[in-house]
Amino acid sequence: MKWYDRIATIDRRIIYVLLTVLVILPFFVKVTIPQKIMPQTQKLFDFIESIPPNDRAVMISFDYSPQTQPECHPMAKALLKHCFARDIPVIGLSFDPEAPGLAVDALVSVEREIDSLATRKEDSIVYGVDYVYLGWKSGRIAAQLDMGEAIAGVFPRDYYGNLIDSLPLMQNVKNYKDIAIVVILAAADYPIDWIRYPQTRYGVKVAAGLTAVMAPQYYPFLQTGQVSGLMSGMKGAAEYEKLVLEHGYACALGTAETGMNSQSMIHLLIMLFIILGNVGYFFARRAGKAPR
Amino acid sequence: MSGDPWIWIGAVLTLMIFSFLYKDNPFYKFGEHLFVGVANGYYIVYYWHNALKPNLFEPLSAGQFLYVVPLLLGLLYFTRFIPRISWLVRIPIGFTIGWGAGLSIPAYFQADVLRQLEGTVVTPATFSNTLHGIYAVIILIGVACTLIYFYFSREHKGVLGSASKLGIMFIMIGFGASFGYTVMARVSLLIGRIQFLLGPWLGLID
Repeated sequence: MKWYDRIATIDRRIIYVLLTVLVILPFFVKVTIPQKIMPQTQKLFDFIESIPPNDRAVMISFDYSPQTQPECHPMAKALLKHCFARDIPVIGLSFDPEAPGLAVDALVSVEREIDSLATRKEDSIVYGVDYVYLGWKSGRIAAQLDMGEAIAGVFPRDYYGNLIDSLPLMQNVKNYKDIAIVVILAAADYPIDWIRYPQTRYGVKVAAGLTAVMAPQYYPFLQTGQVSGLMSGMKGAAEYEKLVLEHGYACALGTAETGMNSQSMIHLLIMLFIILGNVGYFFARRAGKAPR
Repeated sequence: MSGDPWIWIGAVLTLMIFSFLYKDNPFYKFGEHLFVGVANGYYIVYYWHNALKPNLFEPLSAGQFLYVVPLLLGLLYFTRFIPRISWLVRIPIGFTIGWGAGLSIPAYFQADVLRQLEGTVVTPATFSNTLHGIYAVIILIGVACTLIYFYFSREHKGVLGSASKLGIMFIMIGFGASFGYTVMARVSLLIGRIQFLLGPWLGLID
């Protein structure tokens, strides 16, 4: 077998072993690959920064499943830390049936983290005052449109069974007029419904935190201003974690930032294999062994 | 190493699925079938408790008989299994299509067509920031040339041919970006699993 045949037909198991080694290595060997903040992540961060404290709420639609947890969960936690640190009320909800467990995990873990650091009672997070989780609802388009009239009409009770009207936060949040922005954290095409229906009818501001597979679909909406900010995959999550840390809203980076070192190493390896494969193919074709 | 049995179940199932990377084997098959079964069970129970029961059966049992209409419409879908009356399935399908089309056509036109067309319009104000102006021109050229590539009523020769070739370059750049993002997404999932194995399971990282 010629050298070019060899590099064009590397056993996939060798590639898998190399991938695994390069994913694991950065967790034990200090590797710092600088990450540049992308404008769309900065835009979302700046928007949240521009919301006055204890004013309008941020609505977060948790629409991701356990499969995409590594990408979307760090986004949720970083965004929640940012909102809570700036005293911005948060309304959580879900339209993906697999999401409620993850949403509660993100909300409760951030609440516990902030409470453990709080030195005064006012600094701690209180359910019903600082945030509410409405739970899951079927028929998302109808629900999204109806919330423009009254959120309590769509979600008469929250995830825990409390009457919505009995929660202090919901006394000031009746419909989209009281929502500064809806941020959809999704692994499927959920944000497009928010753009097509509530935004078109009620002018709701929409931003998204998406898995990397989904992100390219939303760049046209970002360019037209229909999407006010975008976190793209693990990189977007890592960027938001970095921004939250740099502005003093968190005391440590999250899992996305540590994962990005592995991500960068893997990208270099994949680029190397793409080059090797093409070189092998080029020389095999010159030798008349590969189809043109 | 974790003492939590649920962490162990997660870790062992992860390794079972990863074993497919070497070759197909009974452990992988077990993990795969278990996942499909659990996912189906979860969805059935979830929809029963959070959609059917509160949105249909509870109002019905409370005497709100108007809910008989959606119940009947839903049940008509099952007539598909009875050839003699299978034509009745057209009623709920027609209702769904009518509702869906009425709702989505204006919204789709507004959000996906008109607003996107607005995004390609270049005005003198676009050049208030030179860089944004250049981007806007690139977008305009990209949209026009891509549309020309999909224009099949005339042979792609001369100006049309050159524009079409430029269009395919834009399409390829789009595919390349999508591929890059897809690789990033899949690697992220691998990183997530490795973080789970090294952290909560083996306790080697925080």
